[in-house]
Amino acid sequence: MIATWYAVVSFMLIIYVVLDGRNFGAGMLQWFVAKTPEERRQVIAAIGPLWTWHEVWLLGFGGTLIAIFPRLMASAFAGYYLALFLILWCLILRGISIEVGGHINDRLWQGYWDFNFVLSNLLLAILFGAAAGNVARGVPLDPQGNFSMAFFTDFNVRGHVGLLDWYTVSIAVLATVVLAAHGATYLTLKTEGSVHDRCEKYARYLWITVIPLLLAILVESKFVRPDLPGRAWSNPFWWLGLVVIVASAITLISGLASQREMRALVGSNLLIVGLLATGAAAIFPVMLHSTLAPENSLTAYAVASSSTTLLRASFWWPIGFALAVFYFVFISRRYAGKVSVQRDTQGFY
Amino acid sequence: MNSIFNDPGFWHRLQFGFTIVYHYLFPQLTMGLALFIVYWKWRALRTGDDKYNQAVRFWAKIFGLNFAVGVVTGIPMEFQFGTNWADFSKYAGGVIGQTLAMEGMFAFFLESAFVGALIWGEKRLSPRGHFAATIAVALGSWLSGYFILVTNSFMQHPLGYQVEPNGSLGIASMSAYLLNPWAFVQFAHNQLAAVVTGSFVVAAMGAFYALRDIHPVQARLYLRAGTFVGLIASLLVAFPTGDAQAKMVGNHQPITLAAMEGKFEGGAMAPVTLIGQPNVAKQRLENPIEVPGALSFLAYGHFGSFVHGLNDFPKDAWPDNIELLYYSFHLMITLGTLFIVLMGFATLQNWRGKLESSRLLLWGLILAFPYPYIANTLGWMTAELGRQPWLIYGLFHTRDGYSKVVSNGDAIFTLIGFTGLYFVIGLLFLGLAGREIGKGPDEESTAVVEQREAMLA
Repeated sequence: MIATWYAVVSFMLIIYVVLDGRNFGAGMLQWFVAKTPEERRQVIAAIGPLWTWHEVWLLGFGGTLIAIFPRLMASAFAGYYLALFLILWCLILRGISIEVGGHINDRLWQGYWDFNFVLSNLLLAILFGAAAGNVARGVPLDPQGNFSMAFFTDFNVRGHVGLLDWYTVSIAVLATVVLAAHGATYLTLKTEGSVHDRCEKYARYLWITVIPLLLAILVESKFVRPDLPGRAWSNPFWWLGLVVIVASAITLISGLASQREMRALVGSNLLIVGLLATGAAAIFPVMLHSTLAPENSLTAYAVASSSTTLLRASFWWPIGFALAVFYFVFISRRYAGKVSVQRDTQGFY
Repeated sequence: MNSIFNDPGFWHRLQFGFTIVYHYLFPQLTMGLALFIVYWKWRALRTGDDKYNQAVRFWAKIFGLNFAVGVVTGIPMEFQFGTNWADFSKYAGGVIGQTLAMEGMFAFFLESAFVGALIWGEKRLSPRGHFAATIAVALGSWLSGYFILVTNSFMQHPLGYQVEPNGSLGIASMSAYLLNPWAFVQFAHNQLAAVVTGSFVVAAMGAFYALRDIHPVQARLYLRAGTFVGLIASLLVAFPTGDAQAKMVGNHQPITLAAMEGKFEGGAMAPVTLIGQPNVAKQRLENPIEVPGALSFLAYGHFGSFVHGLNDFPKDAWPDNIELLYYSFHLMITLGTLFIVLMGFATLQNWRGKLESSRLLLWGLILAFPYPYIANTLGWMTAELGRQPWLIYGLFHTRDGYSKVVSNGDAIFTLIGFTGLYFVIGLLFLGLAGREIGKGPDEESTAVVEQREAMLA
């Protein structure tokens, strides 16, 4: 039961990253792939009507995390206090800059909000990447399962670590490049003209850059968490994740090579799913590893709600998820195809 | 040194209080306005009259802006359960997390998936499809309200829980938790109050256009709908829902009722205070003007009913800010009464066909629109201050709930950050909403819009 819920909660976070990751990536690339004000509007229009739908997956994930793993949520969120507020403020800034930019048709005004838009998306990718790095590396959990952490200490990965060290920073870099590549792949599908052509080029270069970064992270991870590989190899879901990675990489490459934009996006989505799923499978059952003493680590079994509470939650969750799939189908059909600035902006986005 | 700087609980409460009050300024309009949009879209479908489509188009723009601010200010609310109220989440997360998650999956998903269709859908969807989108958004926003009110009702009147072996709370009965009678009453009261906000805003917009003598057809539409719905909602928010809410408090939180009324000595024939200031140090009401027996009657149904005073309870069980609670409650009731008077008068004048020619009344309607926001806030302050010193009534103290690992300075820092950020968001919202209001409803007919569309396509 707890393992299933671990998979469910991870899955919700992964969906969030896949969906909002497009926006992070497209957002941070806006300046590079779109040169004129009209082209920049095109990028915003590709994100515009759907960003709230993507962002609420974070709320769905957060709520489920409180219900299913209350003690993990309490320990992790309080421990990452300032870092989380940075993420929240960037999310606010990002949403606001999407919404208000198009309201006033003025170059300075739109340029200012485009700047905020690019910056907040870039910071979000870095911060979420560093957060993922922290989960992989572990945090200085005390015997009560609490921690509080500085932004950085000595940049080492053991003992009293900070939010940033060489390992979490390198994961943040990987995350930024992966999400940028993901965003470029998405924009290739959604845009036309010169934005489309630049995105196509960016998507190729960025995805190629991912390969060496990913290999470096694998080597680093083996050093940072020597306990992980053995555990991962005995977990069938880790192997399943690996299969997803291989299959999605082939899909992505063939999509990029043959300019089948939808295929490339599917590959890109699944690749992120595969990467995060293998990560989630590798660390299970430890949800938060202690860098001070392994026995302080918080496992899914220790932080979960009682089995009766989990059982109650398993009645409504599948219904909610089925509805979400239904909305997803609606949205995919409704917003299919390239965006058009005339039709989709209305002087608004 | 004993200053508030050394009391982390204070800062965590202030931050949550500030961010939730600010956040709720937006959803209350979303929920109220959604009904108007559904109604106008339905009228547009039934009558084919284009003025209804114009109204939908105009209000959808205001709605979209309002909704976006609601989303971005709402995400910090859920996160703060973990960042600032970690010990509360540890204790009760298994229960309250259920409805927070349901809110995400059943309400926000629905709302946010269709809000784009509401705002842009007229050009991409069939009229019926667009109507369905307005219903989906309205339903999503109201469901979200229900899940949050179930969560709050659990904190006011915990039901359906069990204490787990590790001392935390879990769900024993999902139906008892979700169908908490407190939640029904609170939902009805709160949603009607949101409709009051929505109708005051709609009426104020109509009054504004009427006074400037522009968009006469739209102005008439907004004035008629806003004042009529405003009257009905203002009446219902007082009776039966406000009355039922007070009775609920009287039955389950008698200390709270005593504090709300500033009542120190218990007794039969308890009065309702119309005017008066509580003096907690001297334990009396200063300069009271009272209606004898009214409180006994309102709370328990008989003038002779005994109503507890604060002195019947130990001091550590008293709400910790009786003055603020008293003023919040009384000002809410005063405002609610004024709403009924204003909207009653406006509806009467409208019925006599004199509303648009009565400049004074139109001015009154414009100036009145901020007050439902204030009344909603005061109502929530009454609910939350009244529950103190409990976080979950009778089970868990507020002082036990905040994150012990977060230092005061961190909490003060983020509070200041939110204050600055929200100030800027407020300016942006007002400025941009003002621009949309200045541009006014799009008076192009749907046919013209479609024609332009066809040319562009």
